[in-house]
Amino acid sequence: MSDSASSFSGRPLRRRSFLRVAGATAASSALLLAGCGDDDSSTVAPTTNTLTFANSNTGLLNYAYLLEQLEAAFYQKVVDAFPPDFTAEDRAAFLDLRDHEVIHRETLKFALGSSAYDTSLGETPLAFDFSSFTLTSRAGVYAAARTLEDVGVAAYNGVGKLLLATNDNSHVMYLRLLAKIASVEARHAAFVRDQQQANSFAGADVVATSGSFAGLDTVKTPVEVVALIAKYVPIPLDASLLPTT
Amino acid sequence: MNLFQIIAELEKVDPEIADRLSHRRSALTALGNFGKKMALAAAPIAIGSAFNKAVGQNTLTAVNDVLNYALLLERLEYSFYNQALSAPTLAANLTSGSAARGAIETIRTHELAHVNLLKAALGSAAAAEPTFDFGTAFSTYPTFLTFAQAFEDTGVRAYKGQAGNIPRTLNPTVGGTQVNLLTVALQIHSVEARHAAHVRYMRRGAAAGAQTSIMPWIVNAEANGAPSAVYGAGNPQANFPAENNLAQGGISSLLTGLGTTYTDADVSAAFDEPLDNTTVTAIARSAAKF
Repeated sequence: MSDSASSFSGRPLRRRSFLRVAGATAASSALLLAGCGDDDSSTVAPTTNTLTFANSNTGLLNYAYLLEQLEAAFYQKVVDAFPPDFTAEDRAAFLDLRDHEVIHRETLKFALGSSAYDTSLGETPLAFDFSSFTLTSRAGVYAAARTLEDVGVAAYNGVGKLLLATNDNSHVMYLRLLAKIASVEARHAAFVRDQQQANSFAGADVVATSGSFAGLDTVKTPVEVVALIAKYVPIPLDASLLPTT
Repeated sequence: MNLFQIIAELEKVDPEIADRLSHRRSALTALGNFGKKMALAAAPIAIGSAFNKAVGQNTLTAVNDVLNYALLLERLEYSFYNQALSAPTLAANLTSGSAARGAIETIRTHELAHVNLLKAALGSAAAAEPTFDFGTAFSTYPTFLTFAQAFEDTGVRAYKGQAGNIPRTLNPTVGGTQVNLLTVALQIHSVEARHAAHVRYMRRGAAAGAQTSIMPWIVNAEANGAPSAVYGAGNPQANFPAENNLAQGGISSLLTGLGTTYTDADVSAAFDEPLDNTTVTAIARSAAKF
């Protein structure tokens, strides 16, 4: 089947090669992360033990990559020790969810090449901390999944407009790739919400039913998202350099 | 004549031509087919039609055209649920106070909000509202949900297909609030995906035929009784692959391209695919008269 190998062919492929070469430089600069944005020549002083996302599309992709790592790690943890009251249907669904997130994670990692932040972090993979969740019961697991999936949806909705226009149009390719993932995250969110609370697939806490934002899903900036997920991530996160408009 | 030279010249005036050609090779193949039948003198015409075909069927470029296209789809969805909620044939399943009715009312509320937001954004440029005839869509509860799945999954693909057509810097004031149009489109996009997931889940219920093989996500290009075009490829296929697409991010097949073996069900379900507006509109017209 043909497919998006072709939409990713030509310049985008060269773009990826570029990322890999540039990423090697980032790696040699200790913790300078993803400092190889297409139109980003700024550099950031290495900050020990802080995950800093660069002001570039690569920084944004690394941000998405972190989210996928977090989600994949969460589902893996659940799959490794299902709560005793999980049904066969729950288990099957969580295997799907785990697989989807792992595939997202690995696809973004591939796209980033050596610009993937963990290449320069030297801590692969990050040991995420899910101790704030109750993962020993079905209800607790679904509540946790709901939290993470809703954050993911809001994060992807916020990233789209931040991708910086590039001469090689790679930003359009990235927008497409992230949008392909985003709606699957929304499907996940709807599913886990419905399991936790019937008919809450698009509850008023995520989709307003009145006012200026009626009918719209949540949207969060990287800085807002980083604040929400900080407790799960073993090192400090700094999204302040990422584009804001 | 040198076709590569022609494409190179085109790239000077249209830097995106290589992107919009589904694939240089396929464009050239198309040219080759023409070439076998046509005299060299006619080649320029053949080139023109090959390019028209390769550039494909996403015919919307002006933002207002994109918004009116979205408005049409939202009006269709709103009318669909609004008619369903008063259809005598569905009354036994959509009883007052039931979970099913609650879900459909929630979805209808969202679709109406989308209609109102898009109308406000378009102002006087908003197209006139058509009347929708959904034929036999409400004949039975399972049939209704099959149509609902088709409309919601198509809606997700439609918004995704336009994401690249909305400049990221458009921040109009809509209804007194400044919004970013691309962000709003993405926010609607994910709501449609939530709807799709829920409708798919509803189809697993006993009243809907207990179709427990249907997942909230799209596995391969399984249509579950909906028109196969909803999950098929658009035009050009390279930009709008079918939902069973296994190639992402420059990897020709994620089944084995990521260092571990994954199933086609997982790979296809992990990504939703965009669809061009011509294919989407054809799907809509195959399911409803308007």
